[in-house]
Amino acid sequence: MTADIASPAAESSTAVRTTLYEASTQYRHWRYSLEQLAHTRAALNTAAVSAIQEAFESDEPGSSSSVSFLNADEEHLLVKLYVGKISQLCGHFRFPEEVEATAVTYLKRFYLKNTVMDWHPKNVMLTALFLATKTTNHPISLEAYTSHIPKTAPSDVLDLEFLVAQSLGFDFAVWHAHRSLWGLWLDVQSLPDAPLDDLRASYDTALKYVRASRLTDAELVYTPSQIALACLSLASPSLASTWVRSKFPDPEITDPPVLGVIEPIKTLILADGSPPEVEAVREVDRRLKLCKNPEKVVGSKAYLKKREEEERKADEKRRRKADVIKRAMEDGDPFGSELAGRTALDDDDDDDED
Amino acid sequence: MSNRANGWLRGTIVRKSGVSTASSTRTSTPQIQSTSTTVFGGGVKDASGRTSEYFSMEDQCPVCKSDRYLNPKLRLLVSACYHKMCESCIDRLFTLGPAPCPICGKILRKLAFTPQTFEDLGVEKEVAVRRRIAKEFNKRREDFPDLHAYNDYLEEVEDITFNLINDIDVAETEARIVQYRQENAALIELNIQREEQYAQYLKEQEDFERQEREQRAAELRRAEEEEREEREKGRREIIDKLETSDKDAIKLVARSRLEAMRRASARSTSSGNVLQSSSRLLRSRAAQSTVVPDVPHVPLQDNWYAYEDMFTLRDNYDDPASEAVRRDREGIMRAGGYRVEQAWERALRCAVAGLEIMPLEGLHSTASDPAAVPGAGGDVVMASA
Repeated sequence: MTADIASPAAESSTAVRTTLYEASTQYRHWRYSLEQLAHTRAALNTAAVSAIQEAFESDEPGSSSSVSFLNADEEHLLVKLYVGKISQLCGHFRFPEEVEATAVTYLKRFYLKNTVMDWHPKNVMLTALFLATKTTNHPISLEAYTSHIPKTAPSDVLDLEFLVAQSLGFDFAVWHAHRSLWGLWLDVQSLPDAPLDDLRASYDTALKYVRASRLTDAELVYTPSQIALACLSLASPSLASTWVRSKFPDPEITDPPVLGVIEPIKTLILADGSPPEVEAVREVDRRLKLCKNPEKVVGSKAYLKKREEEERKADEKRRRKADVIKRAMEDGDPFGSELAGRTALDDDDDDDED
Repeated sequence: MSNRANGWLRGTIVRKSGVSTASSTRTSTPQIQSTSTTVFGGGVKDASGRTSEYFSMEDQCPVCKSDRYLNPKLRLLVSACYHKMCESCIDRLFTLGPAPCPICGKILRKLAFTPQTFEDLGVEKEVAVRRRIAKEFNKRREDFPDLHAYNDYLEEVEDITFNLINDIDVAETEARIVQYRQENAALIELNIQREEQYAQYLKEQEDFERQEREQRAAELRRAEEEEREEREKGRREIIDKLETSDKDAIKLVARSRLEAMRRASARSTSSGNVLQSSSRLLRSRAAQSTVVPDVPHVPLQDNWYAYEDMFTLRDNYDDPASEAVRRDREGIMRAGGYRVEQAWERALRCAVAGLEIMPLEGLHSTASDPAAVPGAGGDVVMASA
C-alpha cells in the first residue's frame, strides 16, 4: 500500500510515525476512561435535570417538586435497551454486521453528548440506524425503511438526522471489534500448529462475545483489537495467549501488557454483556414520560412558550429584512448597496430552519 | 500545429474544396495536357502526386478576353504577381524574353507562370508564400529552451508570412528572411534532413506493412488451395475404400471424416501463427511510439504507520466469511475491482491495530484532545508529481 511508496522517506522517522489507529477520530474524539464516562453522564444528567426543572417551574410554579427525574444510570439503562433493539431491527432487515455495529456506536456516542430526557432513544435509534446504513454503504430507501417499522413516519427519522450527525461530530468512520476478530481468526491460522476445528468453534463463540460487548461501554474505553482479543480469550484462553506471544516475541517480558489489558474487558463483557431486564426499563420509561423536557413535548405550555419565543425572533428578523429591502428600494438600488446588503441578508440564512 | 501546417504545405494532404467550388460544373478535375513546353512549378499536388488545376466554364483571359466558349482548350496560368492569363497570351508576350505584366507592369518571365489550383488567387498566393516560408523556418519545439521562446518564434514566422502575403514592408521582410537564413543555416539543413528521414521511415513502414499483407493473403490462398485438394483427396479415398474393402460403409465414412477434421484443426493452428505475427508487429510499433515510461501516479503520500511488520498476509485462508466471493467463478462480486486479499489485509490490520494502547485512567487524561496526538492534523503530503 502507500507505506511501500513512502518507506524511503519514512525510514529515518519510523520512531515518530503515528499509527493509523491513533489517527482515527475514534481514538482522538471518542476515547474515555471509565471515570470520564461516568463523569460525563452525570454532568449531562444534572444539567438536563436543572434545565427541565426550570422549564417546569416557568410552566407552572412548584410543579417540579413532585417529578422524579431519571439519574444517569437509569438513562444509561434505557440506551442499553435500545442498543439491543438495534440488533433486532438489523436481524429483521438482514443488515450486515457492519451496519449494526456502526448504529450501536452512533447511539452510544449520541448519548455522550445529549440526554435521554431531551431526545427519546426510540427515535434516535431509528435515525442512528438509518444513518449507519448510509455511512457503511448499505443504503436503503427511507420508504422501505419506515414502512417496515410500525408507527413510524419518514419525518421521525429525518427530523433528527442532522442533530445526530452533528452530535457525532460527523465522525462517521468506526473501527469495529468484529473486523478485528475476523483478522484474528485469519491470523491465528498462520500460527505453526493451528487446530482448525477447534478454531472454528472458538471463533463462533468469540463472535457471540463481540456482540455482547456492544451492550457494554468497552468500545469507548478500549481499542477494537483489544476487545476482539478479549473475546477470543473468553472463547479459548490458550489460543489467545499463544497468538499474543507470537506477536510480541520478547524473551525478557514473559507476559505482553495486552494480556493484562484484556482481563478487565473480559469481566466487563461477562458482567454487562446481557440485555437489561425489561421490567426495570419499563419502569424507567414510564417515569421518563413524566420528566421529559417540556420544551420538546408538543402541546405543553413550555413548548408553546418556546415556539412563541422562536416565532417572535423569526418575526423580528423578517421585519429587519423587510426594512433593509425597503430602504434599499428607496435608495433606488433594489439590491441594496453591496456590502450593507450582504451583512443584512447573512443572518437570515437560518430563517426557516425549524 | 506547426508540423501539421508543414505537412499541408508540402502537399501531402489533399484539399479538394478549392477545386470543387460551387461554380465548377465538374466534380473531378482532369489533368490537362499542357500545350506549352514549359515545365511549370507551383500548384498543389494531391495524394497521387498530380497537380489538380482550377477550371471553370466562366474562365476568361483578362488580357485577350477569349473565353472557354470560344476556346474550349483555354488554360489560364498564374503569374508571379498573381495575375491570370491564357497560354497563348503568355506565348505571345514572353517568348522573346522578360516582359512587363500587361496588368500591373511587373517584369515577368515565361518560366514563372504556374497552374492555378484555387479559385481565389489570394489563397493561391498564401499557399505559395507559406510553402516558401515553411521550407526555411522549419525549427521545431525541441530546438528551443522553453515553450515561450518557441511561441515567440512562431509569432515571428506568422508575422513575416502575413507581411509577404499582404505586401507590407516587403523589402524589410525579405531582409529579415535573409538574416534568419544566414543565422540558422546549419539548423535549417539539419531539420530538412530530419524531415527526410522521417518521410523515409514512414515509407519503409508502409512498405513493410504492404509486404506483410501480401504475405498473409498468399498464405491464406495457399491454405485454401490445400484444403480443397485435401477434400478432393479424401473423397477419392472414401470411394476407393468403399470399392476395395468389405467393411461397414458408415464406419468408413465416419473414420475418414474424423481424420479430415483433425487435419483441419491442425491447419487452423498454423494459421493462428500468421495472426500472431501480425499482432506482434502491432505491439512492436506500439512499443516504439511510447517514449515516456508510464510511472504510476501516487496522489497522496503519507507517513502513517500501518502495522506492516505486525502481520504477514498469506495467499489463502480458511474463511467462511469470504467463501462466496472466492467461489464466484464469473467474478460478478469482484467486478468493481474488489479483491478478497484487500479485505483480509484490512481485517488483519484491524486485529493488530492499537493492541498496545493502554486504556485511559482517571478523570483528567487528555488523550481525547486532538492536539495531544502528534501529527493529528494529518501530515498527508501532496505528491509532487
